[in-house]
Amino acid sequence: MRTRAAVSAALASAGILIAGWQSGLHVADTGSSVASAAAGSTGSSGSSGTSGSAGASGSSGSSSSSSAGGTTGASAKAVGTYAGSVVQTRFGSVQVQITVQAGKITDVTALQLTDAERKSVQISNRAAPLLRTEVLAAQSADVQTISGATVTSDAYLNSLQAALDAANL
Amino acid sequence: MNTQLLTNRPGVRRSSGGAVNPFRAQYRRRLLRADLLTVLFWASLAGAIALWLADGGAAGFSTPAGSFTALGIVAGLAGMDLVLLMLLLAARIPLIDQTVGHDRALEFHRKLGKPALYLLLAHGILIAIGYGMAEGLDPVSESVALWVLVPDMWLAYISMLLFIAVVVTSLVAVRRRFPYEFWYAVHLLTYAAVLTSLPHQFSVGGLFAEGTWQRWYWLALCIATGAALLYYRVVQPLVATFRHQLTVKRVVRVAPGVVSIEMSGLRLDELAGSGGRFFIWRFLAPGLWWHPHPFSLSAEPVRFDAAGQGTLRITVRNLGRGSSQLASLKPGTKVAVEGPYGLFSTAARSRNHVVMVGAGIGITPVRALLESTPFQPGNATVILRGHSESELYLGEEILDLCRRRGATLFHLTGSRPAGIRTWLPEHAARAGHRLASYHPNITDADVYVCGPSAWAHNVLEDARAAGVREDQIHYERFDW
Repeated sequence: MRTRAAVSAALASAGILIAGWQSGLHVADTGSSVASAAAGSTGSSGSSGTSGSAGASGSSGSSSSSSAGGTTGASAKAVGTYAGSVVQTRFGSVQVQITVQAGKITDVTALQLTDAERKSVQISNRAAPLLRTEVLAAQSADVQTISGATVTSDAYLNSLQAALDAANL
Repeated sequence: MNTQLLTNRPGVRRSSGGAVNPFRAQYRRRLLRADLLTVLFWASLAGAIALWLADGGAAGFSTPAGSFTALGIVAGLAGMDLVLLMLLLAARIPLIDQTVGHDRALEFHRKLGKPALYLLLAHGILIAIGYGMAEGLDPVSESVALWVLVPDMWLAYISMLLFIAVVVTSLVAVRRRFPYEFWYAVHLLTYAAVLTSLPHQFSVGGLFAEGTWQRWYWLALCIATGAALLYYRVVQPLVATFRHQLTVKRVVRVAPGVVSIEMSGLRLDELAGSGGRFFIWRFLAPGLWWHPHPFSLSAEPVRFDAAGQGTLRITVRNLGRGSSQLASLKPGTKVAVEGPYGLFSTAARSRNHVVMVGAGIGITPVRALLESTPFQPGNATVILRGHSESELYLGEEILDLCRRRGATLFHLTGSRPAGIRTWLPEHAARAGHRLASYHPNITDADVYVCGPSAWAHNVLEDARAAGVREDQIHYERFDW
């Protein structure tokens, strides 16, 4: 009878694991294709369409909020807030805003984060604070992406770079 | 001393010489249930890991950092699943109790404690390493970052500390140093540990994000566990207490330091057949009400006594702080009750023959079982063990029952011989007696053993050596 229990338990567990693994393969396939598609779309929209217009709006926004610092150009130290470009991803749009004082990034706020599905919201919630800390430490967009949140991280850093460009940093 | 009287008891099912075994069907059902529980146990663990596999988790193994994270997630899932199973094992669910018995369930519960803790620790460490590698941080900085930056993670850290506290205080070596109440209070923190661990599972873990079927499965598992605990450990005892309305009728001194407590109550016929099983009693008197006492019935419940009331009886020895006050219980004291629990009953029978071995206060459930369990005259043996005749509690009643039912009774008194591991008194051990000497057909018998654990283990060893299979042995632990 003990063998009956052991055999049935082993068969049941193996069956469950294999079923899970099989459906997981399917998810992994779609997941990776989604990721690559998202990366592609991010790249194209970032380079051509959105970033230009968003960059323009970002700079106009900054000039209105801080008239003196924003417009005096590269020589003076930039002060104020600068919004980055809106970067489209498969999971929603991402846009960040930086606060600059005395030529240093003092804060990064996410104006929009990936929110297409609830799961994306959770990923964003985990990634955004980590990215913010990294950026504040590095004072640039040249930081590691967050594991499990690659799409969000890439979009975040792209938008950030646009904001940095707008701030002439 | 050997007293054997052959008087037919009316109502015993027809069967001759073991040809028909009336317990075969219930025995097979019990084994089936045991196998089913084993399968459920492993299937739930496999299920926890399958949740993650179905989410494409295995893809994480493509990078070193991903591998650490993946292992960390698996450890966390398996650890949480074990914690939920541990809670279910301690929930006194009738299916589990009637299959393996409350004491075996708790023994298994205890065995799972350390593996569960190790899995949860591994979960934390591996995730910190995995995330840290991906972000270029060392595990310690990553842990700090998780604590400070990610919502709900600080709760998870508190949960981890609570789990460590609960398991450490439950280690045998540590547990002995503190009073029971201290251990119990710390053990209650388990609920806090589980509750504080839940937020991060659902908010930080992407696996249980809203809209996934995994989230529903995990929620259902957590809620079902909570509901089982609430129902079987809170609602059921309250219902039983109000349903049976037990009050202390009288307290009778049986021997020095031993008293029988008789209680009267309503609808006690519903408890028929629970003689020998135990209940958890709370005597609602000042200074006593908060102390739960696990005691077996020492007689079958009586539906109507001479006064037309139902009565229950437990027989208790003055064992410790709580028990000593019981001798002075006032008649009329209300009693809260949970139970019956355990497998020291006819429900565990698998064979025609039955051998009941009791020592000290462990004799009392044997007395109750002897009263009700069916057997043919000559197919039952009762062995009572004590230092002296005066320690064979309820000996008169047992002698009387053996006479009426045709059971063979042995009184084994005297101290154990020095230096030999035996459950027998010196004279019997020297004469070369074994358990099989007292009941020739022992391999075709259910063996019920109740008494101090060191002594009982010697009896069990003797029974196994005589060829009694594990599922024929029914041992009630006293010291859990």
